[in-house]
Amino acid sequence: MAGLGAALIGVLALVALRNDWKATGLDSNVTKLLLGLMALGCVLVLIAAFGILPRGGS
Amino acid sequence: MSVSVAKQGHVHGAAGGSLVHDEVIYQETRDMRLLGFTLFLVSDVVLFSAFVFAYLYLRNTIDTWPPVIDGKQLPRLDVAFAAVNSIVLFGSGVTMHYALENWKHGKRAAFDAWIWATIVLGTMFLCGQGYEYAHAQIGGWSGSIFGASFFTLTGMHGFHVFIGVIYLIALYFQTRAGVYDQTHYFGLTAGTLYWHFVDVIWVGLFFLFYLF
Repeated sequence: MAGLGAALIGVLALVALRNDWKATGLDSNVTKLLLGLMALGCVLVLIAAFGILPRGGS
Repeated sequence: MSVSVAKQGHVHGAAGGSLVHDEVIYQETRDMRLLGFTLFLVSDVVLFSAFVFAYLYLRNTIDTWPPVIDGKQLPRLDVAFAAVNSIVLFGSGVTMHYALENWKHGKRAAFDAWIWATIVLGTMFLCGQGYEYAHAQIGGWSGSIFGASFFTLTGMHGFHVFIGVIYLIALYFQTRAGVYDQTHYFGLTAGTLYWHFVDVIWVGLFFLFYLF
């Protein structure tokens, strides 16, 4: 469920990022940065959901 | 700025000049408020960074992770639950983005729906966080370095989310009261930036506590 949600939210974040890509101004640039990082977060959730990387710890 | 506004030709005469002046003042104060708000977000990044580096330092000072308490190693946090809760929060970032976009396009009903979706998802995230606090077996706030770091950092983030939910509710009632219009909506821009910010802070915390 988290994996499907991450894929959906990640795609929506990337679509929003693409739509705002040509927007200028401080608020637009900060928004673009934050949307990109949110998409990265979705990738991390995908990694967690499918256990792609081993978890840290010792 | 004053030239570009005057070129639009919507305003003429003394009253028009006053409107142009008001618009110039609005744009200038908006730019200053935006810069100030961005600096506030940067200062918040510094605050979280200090705690994150403290956590990483403490984590590196002990041999086994999660730490051993009373001869027993603490379990890892429940990554599956946290993943679902993360998606709830990230989803609220998307709904807030659509709320602002609908406001810009004058779609009030859609704006109302999206901002309430954001408020509900933010509240769900907080409930999820509360559930996790109640069930995490990591020794409590004062029981271990793990617990102290986890509850401090995620608690600080949760407080930001809580403030954000209150902020969004206030924004909703401000829109109902006619504080903003389709071209003057700095509060909504700031609210959206703040909400994206708490999303992104959670990206870092999720990696730190559940994957790293």
